[in-house]
Amino acid sequence: MAGLTLRNVKKVLGKTPILHGIDLDVRDGELVVLVGPSGCGKSTLLRTIAGLEVPDEGEIRIADRDVTHLPPRERDVSMVFQSYALYPHLTVRDNLAFGLKLRGASAQTIEERIGEVSSMLELTPLLERFPRQLSGGQRQRVAMGRAVARHPALFLFDEPLSNLDAALRAEVRVEIKRLHDRLHATTIYVTHDQVEAMTLADRLVVLRAGRVEQIGAPLEVYEKPRTLFVAGFLGSPAMNFIPASIDSGIARAKDFAVHVPASIGGPTVTVGVRSEDVVVAESDGQLRFVVDVVERLGFDCHAYGKVGDVSFVARLNGEVARTAMRGTVIALNVRDGKAHFFDVQSGDAVQ
Amino acid sequence: MKQSSTRAVLVEVAIHFVLLVAVCAALYPILWVVSLALAPSGAPDARALPIPDSISFHSFASVLFRQNSSGTWVFAVQLFNSVVISLATSFVAVAIATPASYALARFRFVGSKAGTSLLLFTQMFPGVAASVPLYLLLDSLHLLDTRSGLILVYATSAVPFAIFQLRSAFEAIPREIEEAAMVDGATQFGAFLRVALPAARPALAVTGLFAFMTAWNEFILAATFLSREEMFTVPLLLNSYVSEYSAAWGNFAAGAILVSIPVCVLFYALQRQLAGGLTSGSVKG
Amino acid sequence: MKRWFALAAALASLCLLPSPQASADETSVTLWHAYGEAEARGLHEAITAFEAAHPGVNVTEVAVPFGAYASKLESAIPTGNGPDVFIVAHDGIRTYVDGELVASIGPIPTAVSDDVERGYLDAFRVDNVLYGLPIALKCTALYVNEALLATPPASLEEFRALAPVLAPGVSPLAFETDSAYYAAAVLHAFGGELLDATGHYTFTGPSAERTVAVLRDLVQQDVVPQDASGALVTQLFASGRAAAAISGPWLATDLPAGLRYRVVPLPTVGGHRMRSFVSVEGALLARGARDAATSRDLIAFLASPSGALPRALIGRQTVTSNAVQADARVANDSLLSAFRAAASHSVLMPTHRKMRAAFEPANRALRKALEGEMPIRVALAEGAHRFEMITRETMPAQNPTVFLVVVGLLFLVLTIVSIRKIADAGMRARIRRSWPAYRYVLHAALAIALLVILPLLVGAATSFFAGHGRDMHFVGVANYVDILTAQGGPIFAHGSFWLVLLVTVLWTVLNLLLHVSIGVALALALHRPMLKMRGAYRVLLILPWAVPSYVTALAWKGMFHRQLGSVNAILSHLGVEPVSWFAHFSTAFAANLATNTWLGFPFMMVVTLGALASIPNDLYEAASVDGATSWQRFRFITLPLLGPALAPAVAMGAVWTFNMFNVVFLVSGGEPDGTTEILVSEAYRWAFTRSQQYGYAAAYAVLIFLLLVGGNRLLSRNTEPVGGTR
Repeated sequence: MAGLTLRNVKKVLGKTPILHGIDLDVRDGELVVLVGPSGCGKSTLLRTIAGLEVPDEGEIRIADRDVTHLPPRERDVSMVFQSYALYPHLTVRDNLAFGLKLRGASAQTIEERIGEVSSMLELTPLLERFPRQLSGGQRQRVAMGRAVARHPALFLFDEPLSNLDAALRAEVRVEIKRLHDRLHATTIYVTHDQVEAMTLADRLVVLRAGRVEQIGAPLEVYEKPRTLFVAGFLGSPAMNFIPASIDSGIARAKDFAVHVPASIGGPTVTVGVRSEDVVVAESDGQLRFVVDVVERLGFDCHAYGKVGDVSFVARLNGEVARTAMRGTVIALNVRDGKAHFFDVQSGDAVQ
Repeated sequence: MKQSSTRAVLVEVAIHFVLLVAVCAALYPILWVVSLALAPSGAPDARALPIPDSISFHSFASVLFRQNSSGTWVFAVQLFNSVVISLATSFVAVAIATPASYALARFRFVGSKAGTSLLLFTQMFPGVAASVPLYLLLDSLHLLDTRSGLILVYATSAVPFAIFQLRSAFEAIPREIEEAAMVDGATQFGAFLRVALPAARPALAVTGLFAFMTAWNEFILAATFLSREEMFTVPLLLNSYVSEYSAAWGNFAAGAILVSIPVCVLFYALQRQLAGGLTSGSVKG
Repeated sequence: MKRWFALAAALASLCLLPSPQASADETSVTLWHAYGEAEARGLHEAITAFEAAHPGVNVTEVAVPFGAYASKLESAIPTGNGPDVFIVAHDGIRTYVDGELVASIGPIPTAVSDDVERGYLDAFRVDNVLYGLPIALKCTALYVNEALLATPPASLEEFRALAPVLAPGVSPLAFETDSAYYAAAVLHAFGGELLDATGHYTFTGPSAERTVAVLRDLVQQDVVPQDASGALVTQLFASGRAAAAISGPWLATDLPAGLRYRVVPLPTVGGHRMRSFVSVEGALLARGARDAATSRDLIAFLASPSGALPRALIGRQTVTSNAVQADARVANDSLLSAFRAAASHSVLMPTHRKMRAAFEPANRALRKALEGEMPIRVALAEGAHRFEMITRETMPAQNPTVFLVVVGLLFLVLTIVSIRKIADAGMRARIRRSWPAYRYVLHAALAIALLVILPLLVGAATSFFAGHGRDMHFVGVANYVDILTAQGGPIFAHGSFWLVLLVTVLWTVLNLLLHVSIGVALALALHRPMLKMRGAYRVLLILPWAVPSYVTALAWKGMFHRQLGSVNAILSHLGVEPVSWFAHFSTAFAANLATNTWLGFPFMMVVTLGALASIPNDLYEAASVDGATSWQRFRFITLPLLGPALAPAVAMGAVWTFNMFNVVFLVSGGEPDGTTEILVSEAYRWAFTRSQQYGYAAAYAVLIFLLLVGGNRLLSRNTEPVGGTR
């Protein structure tokens, strides 16, 4: 049974196309994260799924029901907004009950659901308060509670953590994960934060300028980015890209040379190397890395510098992580099979 | 440290001084009216301090217990008219203005710009020119000499300003809470009714207060449209104390104070909302 | 939600609550009057007697507010909402006849014709048709304080001799010297008149100059106090600070019970008896009276001795009935008999349509001459010119065909353009998408279109007509031409549109400056979070906003009164000479300005408080960290952020101030000499005090509108569009 199906969903705002025909299948109980830089259309897509925007073309099915032209209230979805959008004139209890009341739930059901949700999210002591009397984290939990209380067919989250501070964000992130593990509700989660994307998603959908760049499990997307864009977007620090020319099975640039699979031809290629995918070479390395700045994180360090004329970040540990400093020259090797190759023109990954 | 605290004290004193002067200036004319109302002679007298030598409630009594020639307690009847008309005006004006201002704040539609300009223009046209046509209009609707007719005129004349006020109030309400309501199961209208409207309550109260004041203080239209004493409003009663040949200033002043008290009480009750309601940003969180 | 519906239902039922009405089988007659309390009581007694004599007849008396009386009659009678009988002074009779407001009452009932003097009866006759019957007289007489003057002086010259004799601070005589109504008594003594029978303004020439000279001498020799208003005359005479006063019967009702005084006919001046104006009040039959026969009976009864007696005894009216004057109770009343005697010496107020318009220029001429602002002859000539200006001959009618064709073509073009627009496919799609929004605005649009815009359009359309009252004809754009060319005179001539516009702009700019600066300053003071008694200050400072503006405007007018006002009382404590606030443009303008500033600053203060609350505190903290002084924080954070928040309020305030009728009309009333008039009050004067030239007034209104729209466009080009957020 399908949780959500999108077929060729297009949306034009004024004369600017926002979504260029999105296709997506979400399984029942799956948590799919839509991720991408701001302006990529991920929020619009979410709002289109919610019914707050009407697609110009295409079809949307929720739980095998065509909802393309239904208003939001008939789609059986619930949504957590970035600003939480709590009803300012209602107490927490009434905020939680609002949707149930509108749907004509009995007083008993409402009581039960509120009890269930508030114990799950530790809202019980807050029930009689108004939103303005709550902290940011508490509001966030109420917003989630409001979404959960309805037991919808589909949960939608629109950057729900972006208004929280870092510590709280990590905490709530775990909470959302726990919630999903427990409820197994089909969920679409929009974020621009790749940590959220990586940690929460069953599957990732990377969007760019209204198009899907790649869909897949987080690690799969991380390890096998299909395009230069996806490769650069996921991962922190971002993947290093070195333009190189291919010469007899070796991609070369200044202070840089790696082996290229035989299948890759062409005179030039962009080589991508994640910062953690380099190791210090015994003697001569594939890369000659000149350190500029070192961030020591304890166990390891981020070393910023250059390979030839190209900026490069390397994640190092062990002795070298302690001693590296400005001007240190380190010979590095790329881990086996960890170099990525991209077509210079299209940006697509090549094998 | 010490120096700066002395300075702070001086600043504090200066501010209190400025505010006290302003308060005195604000209260002086009001006290002048009060002293006129309490003066036994009921006539103005040249004095710098508006404190009468002796106090008499005669003026108040003669206004409060005024009866007309056929023995009807005029003040009570006219006060009743004023209260009903003003309350209904504020109710009708807010009821008419609210959906319209919501639409202007939330939807982009053909004619919204032109409509807004038109609303603004109505505020610029001096009312002097409209009273005769309005009379003819009410006459053709058989609404002369009725409370409903006056309410209709007051309410519609209060609507343009009310729309401006409420529009910015709705603009300040985050759109998301209505979207949340729609996702939660409300129609667009339901979201307006159950979420936007309650969230705009402070602004609605202030808008209602202004509409109330339009009706409560209005004199010229009331005098034009009403011809039966039992339909008159209180400002007409006040005006009757200042007739062509004689002016009962004491009674006028006493009546003025009685008329002002309800509005002052409303202002007091709504003073917090007043600041928020006039500028936007009344809804946070 | 349910509560609100219940409340609405309750209110609706209260609105529709019927008020007591006469039962259907009774004959009902409605009578309008604008009397004060005492006269209304006397009238009521008379009507009760009438009802007793006519069983089954019910008379409803309506005390119409005086300010709205004339315009109410004019609008109510033709539409069938008026009275059956109304009481007015005779001098407006021609207006009522021309406006078709009155109907013939037939021949004079014999009971009245034998009892009332011919002259008074003829006051209500136009072209041999009788429209009503006289019931009472209003003229002036001399009130003498018996404690101060044993015998009433027989001449104005004797009063002059009294000045040194009386105690200091006591004036020999008080009356409104700068009112043409009172001055006319002297003018008549010298054989002059204000307006001749053909409607020519005659307050010029030797007798007028002599009149003004006499009055000026009286003031300069401290025989009569300067700038005496009606209230001051009452006050001075009531408190024994004037030994005598010239006034009408109305003065008696305001005098304290213990005061011993007598009333005698006016004294002589230069050997001639002063002759005041007398107005005859009559009961007139309204056109379209429902029961004309009973209404006629009522009129005849009111004029007859049995109707007159209670009015004389209770209302203390000077009645026209000779029989009642002979009644012992009336004859022994010194007040009644004195006024009756005074009336016989008086001059009947002319009934020419231009009469009412003569007072304004005459008053101005008098004031200017008495202030010594200009030589008497010049002031009088200016008055005559002013009279010509405001009563200028009605513009000739024009054939509306050309105009209609132009309007029709414009309409056609507009229709074609809008049809084209709608025919455009994109437009149609947009209109379709707009449907949900239209459901929200529909009722507001209908209500505003019907009750706000339609009347304004009709009002604007009258600007193409000229004439008086309901007697109007089409003149095209002649009104506009007349106004914009300053009626052919110099552009900045006295009272011209352009000069008034200049004053209006000055008025608006100064007011806004004061409103904003005071409002912002107070708001900044109140915004300090640690301020003690903050709430109390705020409430007290909002008060001026809560009090009805017409009340406070009248209060301020009183406070600026030269003799009675507390502003001069305060000044005198500070050792400053008392100021005649309304005698000079600058001071009168300042008085208006002070009043309107007082009325307007709370609004700006409240708006500023709201705007200040929305400025995030961390901005100030950031600036403090950056080392900004408190002045710099104000200059670089508060001011720039306040600007946009205040802009819409300022724009709205500008429109309101530009059209602030109440203050100008009630405080200075245009004094001195119409110089402090602004465009709106000028429009009002054309409509209501200058023989009802609605068309001319409407042209003023349209010009005001165009000016405001233009100004708004001009200003909003640089800032955000007005009508934006508030």
